[in-house]
Amino acid sequence: MIPIKQYTYDEITLGQVANFAVTITEDMMSKFRDISGDVNPLHISEDFAKDKGYTGRVVYGMLSASFLSTMAGMYLPGENCVIHAVEVKFPLPVYLGQTLTFTGEVVSKVDAYNTIELKVSATNSNNQKVLRGKIRAGVLK
Amino acid sequence: MLNREEIRKNLNLIFQDVFDDTTIEITDEMSAKDIEDWDSLAQIDLIVASEGTFNVKFGISEIAQLKNIGDMLDLIERKLCQ
Repeated sequence: MIPIKQYTYDEITLGQVANFAVTITEDMMSKFRDISGDVNPLHISEDFAKDKGYTGRVVYGMLSASFLSTMAGMYLPGENCVIHAVEVKFPLPVYLGQTLTFTGEVVSKVDAYNTIELKVSATNSNNQKVLRGKIRAGVLK
Repeated sequence: MLNREEIRKNLNLIFQDVFDDTTIEITDEMSAKDIEDWDSLAQIDLIVASEGTFNVKFGISEIAQLKNIGDMLDLIERKLCQ
């Protein structure tokens, strides 16, 4: 279990960075399929994915994106987080078994609303960016 | 320093960007009830974009007193004079 951070709004500084790594497993794919009900063959059929030009089953984009919840809720700001908005783009596919390194950087603070904005990205082991986006989160008092 | 009309032009661009609607033309009397998606999250978007564009910082009490876009323009104008 990851220890949860407990930053207050005042403790968070512009440029502050958090990162962590996650390896995408078959178990994660199965659980995501069951929760979302998304049985698109691109994610569950090796033959279909290869036939469409991919090297294997493509990891659900929203499974990769679900770790943005981890970024905000566990790391930055952590316990005092309430997510307001997430923007996410998937520049490259993610494949089963890949290890993704997620990075979040505080790019703005809105004092009037105790709100922070993180620029986020995930890279694969070849240092290719597979996800990028933004999180806006309130920091509870 | 920007005059009120220049502030209005920049603020109009912010509104168009936040609400993803290039047809928006703001007026002093306009308020949240006139734009369907102007909710609390959009309000934060507007404040963040305004702080960045005009290089000013707003306090929560200043924001709480805003009743319409005219008030917003007044506040930005005052901030730019400080």
